Amino acid sequence: MVPTSTDEVLVRNNVHVSGNASGRAMIFAHGFGCSLESWRLIAPEFEDDYLVVLFDHVGSGNSDIEAYDPSKYDSLDGYAEDVLDILEALDLHDVVFVGHSVSCMIGVLAANRDPSRFGELILVGPSPRYINDDSYRGGFERVDIDGLLDTLDANYLGWAGTMAPVIMGNPDRPELGAGLTASFCSIDPAIAQHFARVTFLSDNRSDLPEVSVPTLVIQSSDDVIAPMEVGHYVHRSIPGSRLTVLSTTGHVPILSGAPELVTEIRRHLT
Amino acid sequence: MSAGDWERRYNESPCGLLSSSADGSILEANATLLNWLGYRLDEVVGRSFTSLLDPGSQLFYATRHLPVLHLQGHVDQVALTMVTAGGTPMSVLVNSVLIPDENSAVVRTAVFDATERLEYERELVNARRSAESSESRVRILQDVSSTFGLSVDDKDVVEAFAEIAREAFAATHASVLLWDESGDLYLAAGTNPLWGNVAPVQALRHSPVEVVVTVDDAETEYPHLAAGLRKARLEALSIMPLSTETEQLGILVCLFARKRDFDAQFFELQRALGRQASQTLVRVRLQRRLSHLALHDQLTGLANRQQLLQSIDAAIAEAELTGHPLSLLFLDIDGFKAVNDRLGHSAGDTVLREMAERLRSAVRADDILGRMGGDEFVVICPSADARAAASIAERLRTYSRQRIEADPLPLSVSASLGVATYRPDVDVRPSPGELLARADAAMYESKTGGKDIVSHAPLPAVDTRT
Repeated sequence: MVPTSTDEVLVRNNVHVSGNASGRAMIFAHGFGCSLESWRLIAPEFEDDYLVVLFDHVGSGNSDIEAYDPSKYDSLDGYAEDVLDILEALDLHDVVFVGHSVSCMIGVLAANRDPSRFGELILVGPSPRYINDDSYRGGFERVDIDGLLDTLDANYLGWAGTMAPVIMGNPDRPELGAGLTASFCSIDPAIAQHFARVTFLSDNRSDLPEVSVPTLVIQSSDDVIAPMEVGHYVHRSIPGSRLTVLSTTGHVPILSGAPELVTEIRRHLT
Repeated sequence: MSAGDWERRYNESPCGLLSSSADGSILEANATLLNWLGYRLDEVVGRSFTSLLDPGSQLFYATRHLPVLHLQGHVDQVALTMVTAGGTPMSVLVNSVLIPDENSAVVRTAVFDATERLEYERELVNARRSAESSESRVRILQDVSSTFGLSVDDKDVVEAFAEIAREAFAATHASVLLWDESGDLYLAAGTNPLWGNVAPVQALRHSPVEVVVTVDDAETEYPHLAAGLRKARLEALSIMPLSTETEQLGILVCLFARKRDFDAQFFELQRALGRQASQTLVRVRLQRRLSHLALHDQLTGLANRQQLLQSIDAAIAEAELTGHPLSLLFLDIDGFKAVNDRLGHSAGDTVLREMAERLRSAVRADDILGRMGGDEFVVICPSADARAAASIAERLRTYSRQRIEADPLPLSVSASLGVATYRPDVDVRPSPGELLARADAAMYESKTGGKDIVSHAPLPAVDTRT
């Protein structure tokens, strides 16, 4: 594998560093379907105390689409490798890794590969496997994933209008700013299809018992994507992990229940 | 207008209307939506909007629709599938706005029945998907044929093939293994973390058809392979034999970090690529054989006249460049015509082959030995002055005298040799023909001087141009 230079890594993954330069490092990893923007209500809350690192997975947001190698990103290991590249490029240790959705497993894989970089894993809505398997209830059947791929396609016809570059200024929401030209959670449709397959058809259950980094599992109440049962499974499988259940419901507490989530993360870290 | 009027308009609206909290719990829904779905209001209030969707749409809504709604403040014309109380799917288009509130935001959603339109679009999408998929296969095959068109040897072909296969199948690793002459496979191109770490599975190596093995399959049949796959964090491998009708060439091995659908299209593309690669390998090998034939003498396998002339030319240029002397030996078998006439061509051929073997063992490693034709051989000796050339020639003469076991009788021959030397620092640069003619003339002197001897061409006049 060709070694990648620091600059290349930072551009490839659209890495943003902010906050307290002498603080402990905290890296936020977004889930399938969105980008680093999904941390907008969470990350700023930690900037006073922490060195905050945000990034986009390759293929999502403002990452370098040219770097999307389907072979590399055909498993979550490829994404985990990028996380390690970023930590190495910034020379970070004792890092607090906060992952949402699929990035929880990406963080687990990265931490298993090089535990020396990580101080804490905070997993928001993790699922090691979305598909039911014998006695394991992931919440979905194989055919449901095809349904998601169909839905992605169905929304691709109108993609440009609904999801992709919009925003030329929004009078109702001045905080979005007229100068903000980026699309929200933009993702190339073909990459979205592939990332969806990799996310929802992966099985990383056997990686959980290998985790040696202290871990907090944060579970929403009533999350269809990562049901309570799965949260308990992850908690049980990661040795010494803690589990916190939010009163917020749904799969995106990072946006819909930010204050409660921030409180829980703070409580865990202090 | 009274509150009752507003309520009637709300309930009788031609689209479904719904309010929910920021995290998706339903607060209210109008009669239109409840009628479509077959629920009473109290059955949906407090439930999550997500729970009214089919699983595929749930995944989409939770991972994509909701984040964008929160960030952008609205989403428009999102295609989703709702499920009625009776379990019937219903295709809808959804617009949502997020309205910030003092305590927490409220999401207002309008739902449009879009069954027919979405059906139609789904057909379009399916048609496009299948067109794109076949287009991408055609493109891969076109790319591969143009890449292979430029390949000149095995290495070019297999390296291009491994890379193309890795990309085409989004494989974590792809490698090409080829059978060598002794019947072993060697890693010819690409990467393969199992190579050297996992004992070969003969049944897979020799599989006459393409085959896919997942970690779970391997567990029972080939446990050591399963262990090797797990260690390398791989979940499946595919093997595609590369062969022609008559010959096994090798195999393509793709390794996958994730179990995936190995469907008919996968196998079809594997076969098509495998066929192209096999044909290209056969073509470059044939070309190599033909060019070898064009430059080599078929009877002895030595360089032929054409190759010798090219090599002499190159050797003269090299001598001039380095300043080292170059010698040329010309050898003619004594009495060869008599062997041919009395014992037949087959005995003659035996003598030529045997002589080629002996000369090969008598020359130095860097010398180039060739057969000019008939019973004439030439040796190009780089960095050999007249004295070094004389000792090589003497060795050739001695080796030539040993008995040859020929059918029907053993026989002995001898050889006459001529030596010509080019000294780049003093001589005029000769043409290959000139240098060869001088060696030939010296050999002729050996013939007339009694055979079985070595003669030296007179050194040419010293170059006085400088």
